[in-house]
Amino acid sequence: MLEASGVMVFYENMLALNNIDLNCPDNGVIGIFGANSAGKSTLMYALSGIILDIQHKEKMRGGERISLFGEIRHNGEAITGLKAHQRAQRGIVLCPERRRLFPESSVFENLAIGGHLATRAQARETMAFVMELFPALKKLTRRAAGFLSGGEQQMVAIGRALMAQPKVLLLDEPLLGLAPSIQHIVVESIPQIRKERNISVIVTEQYARPVIPYVDYAYIIENGSAVMEGTSRELFENPDIKAAYFGCG
Amino acid sequence: MFYDILVYGFIQSLALVLMAFGFSLVYGVSRLPNFAHGAIYVLTGFVAWVFFKQAGLPYFVAAVLAIAAAGLLGVLIYYLILKRVRGMEVSEVIATYAIGLALLEGLRYLGFRGSTYTLPPALDGVSFIFDVPVDHQRIFLVVLGFAMLATIWLLTKYTRIGRALKGVAQDERAAMMLGIDSDVTAAIAVALGSMLAGVAALIIFPLGSLVVEEGYKVLIYAIAVCVVGGLGSWAGTVMAAFVLGYSQYITVAYGKPHFQMVVMLLAIIATLIIRPSGFFGRQKQLQERV
Repeated sequence: MLEASGVMVFYENMLALNNIDLNCPDNGVIGIFGANSAGKSTLMYALSGIILDIQHKEKMRGGERISLFGEIRHNGEAITGLKAHQRAQRGIVLCPERRRLFPESSVFENLAIGGHLATRAQARETMAFVMELFPALKKLTRRAAGFLSGGEQQMVAIGRALMAQPKVLLLDEPLLGLAPSIQHIVVESIPQIRKERNISVIVTEQYARPVIPYVDYAYIIENGSAVMEGTSRELFENPDIKAAYFGCG
Repeated sequence: MFYDILVYGFIQSLALVLMAFGFSLVYGVSRLPNFAHGAIYVLTGFVAWVFFKQAGLPYFVAAVLAIAAAGLLGVLIYYLILKRVRGMEVSEVIATYAIGLALLEGLRYLGFRGSTYTLPPALDGVSFIFDVPVDHQRIFLVVLGFAMLATIWLLTKYTRIGRALKGVAQDERAAMMLGIDSDVTAAIAVALGSMLAGVAALIIFPLGSLVVEEGYKVLIYAIAVCVVGGLGSWAGTVMAAFVLGYSQYITVAYGKPHFQMVVMLLAIIATLIIRPSGFFGRQKQLQERV
């Protein structure tokens, strides 16, 4: 169970996240929807602890002052002060926006580096699961990740995050820039991951339509604030939301 | 003359690989320019000398202890000093250069001056390659240079730590998301880099004498090789070592030995003017595709 309460993030005086409360139960799928720059990625950075690294690096180079407030709890314990790698060790693993694969490494090596926290047996088992989840990767294992198409890269990125043995998988805009046919493959993997790995997934997207059938509960974020939340059915039936996020009136 | 250049240029190239690879490894993984590299090189030589000549240990044991000491020094330098300034680029350079100065001038202060200090070669004897006489220590240098590259390659391919280093070298933040601690990998990188400097020192010093001034020379050579090859690119480092190694030896053969340093400095200047990212500017082409 991952909970966030009153999470606020300021970049200098700009409010990027305003008092976000979020609750992700065990083995649940949560959606976070919002337009570009609504604060989705910042929220993912806050949940995964990457924001602490961004804050530290900005401070060291004399850049933007980033202030954080609120609390994040995992299984009841506060993890607000834990660094990203410590949170990953607890099972909170981020699959970042724009994928960020290791471009010079092969697909196999990307997955192997992803298995840093896994035992040898876990790594072997997860590798087999990833190949079953995305059969398209089977014949690409020796290819450098930087030379793959966007869809293939996204599959590797999800696979790499799974190799870290997550309990809560954070997927930041997994469909960004993908062709609809590929979007389909990526989205369909979410219920399969949930069922077979028995983990929770928090997924963000700009455009909710392809993802909404697979989420239990969703939050709509606008300008850093959660303006609406509800089960996928409640959101789907709301006419304002329908027009703004599902592309039909 | 041709075979002379071929053989000795090759040896000089491998010597440069040995000198520069540690610097390249540290920069590649942690983005820290380790300006104390040359000082650690010299210090390892003197530590081995003290263990061997004053403590009377067998040379092999003294060498292993000296290299281990270099690794330990690397870890200490990272956790005590570099960790605090990491991310402030100018401070990184100033701090590491200050450590280097303190070590080198400290050695001089302790009385390690002049050219009376020598380390024994691991192998004696001379062989002929293409009718060119080559002493066995230089052959050992070439073999060890390749062995070092092979070891690093195997390490990054088959071990958990090596893979973590490779991940951090390509995208530090993505590695963090997978549970890799970037402080630990940076400390390991600085330790490994220092140990590589130490290995290089113990192979190369027996060819001449053990002098403090070598520290500044090795630092400039390492920087030249890394700048020409592309900072942080390991393949570029090896390629640049060969280009500069042969250039240096040709200069020695047709010009004067003391122009060797001029070659290195000109190479830095030329690279910065013509192609500032070096032979292999990091991942530029690949990044565009994403």
